Amino acid sequence: MTTNFIYLSIILASAATYFCRAFGIFSAKNLSVDSSVFQWIKCISIGIISAVIAKIILFPAGLLAETSSSSRLFATAVAIAIYFLFKKNVLLSVFVSTMTFVIINFYI
Amino acid sequence: MFSSLSFHKGIRHAFGVPAIGLGTSMFAFGAYLKSSGFNLVQSLSSTLFTFALPGQFVMAETIVAGGTLLNVFLAVLLTNARLYPMTVNLIPIIRHPYYPKWKYYFLAHIIAVTAWFNMISVHKKLQQEDKFDYFLGLGGFLWMTSVVCTVSGYLVSYLVSHETLVGFVFINPIYFLIMTLSNLKGKKLIFSIIVGAILSVTLFHYIPDWSVLIAGLVAGTVGFFIFKKETYDN
Repeated sequence: MTTNFIYLSIILASAATYFCRAFGIFSAKNLSVDSSVFQWIKCISIGIISAVIAKIILFPAGLLAETSSSSRLFATAVAIAIYFLFKKNVLLSVFVSTMTFVIINFYI
Repeated sequence: MFSSLSFHKGIRHAFGVPAIGLGTSMFAFGAYLKSSGFNLVQSLSSTLFTFALPGQFVMAETIVAGGTLLNVFLAVLLTNARLYPMTVNLIPIIRHPYYPKWKYYFLAHIIAVTAWFNMISVHKKLQQEDKFDYFLGLGGFLWMTSVVCTVSGYLVSYLVSHETLVGFVFINPIYFLIMTLSNLKGKKLIFSIIVGAILSVTLFHYIPDWSVLIAGLVAGTVGFFIFKKETYDN
């Protein structure tokens, strides 16, 4: 893992990422918010984000991989419950869910 | 016609929960890069020039696992491909004839999940001519926060306990989940969200690299066509 190899990797990773964004700008140039294609793309976008979240919670990599699946699922359920029970309070649901997750994994 | 007011409103929007949701994960990512043998400039460059956490993480993992440059490129392309439909969806919302095309290509760099969700959630309350600068403030602040947090994580993560770091990593997916729930409007979006999650975990066992993209594409497409007659909600 040489220094130059890492810099080249960062350049390629940035190019691959920017390509996805720039191609999106190009593709959207004639797209209207009133079109059905716009609605379709929105469904796909939110479907992909939902798929990403499900993958991170159930099959995480890195630090989360050393935590239990049940703790992640329980903390997720807590987040959803708090969000709907407390007038869609984003900060409260994220905070309580994260604390629940940490307590289950490290203090019980 | 640059609106300083809209730009600052965008910054104020990002300041708080959105910046915490993203910043804590970037902090943990900085710590991860340090423990993986990256230097400070490399860590800073990754967030400055890529600014899409899952792809950055995949890049680092691929390098650590001994992958080639081609492996890195393809893995990041696949991971960050979600930015393509998100950008296609966002641009018609913020487009205004005043802004030349090249400015959108500049703006493209700060399109990521946190900024996207937050822009989608407020855009109806904004005037069309204010949206570009609002998003510039919102996304730009999140971008700079991410850079600062990555560097901070690299430099001072030794001050933070392991338990706290693990908690930091968990904040981001939970924050995304809550932002997704806040978009539960209309049958086709609800269908796309639920089926996208179910398909993702099902397909992961068979095609782990492609599971997210295929799950989102199938769920979104099927949801759209089943509920096509539903009233449009931008």
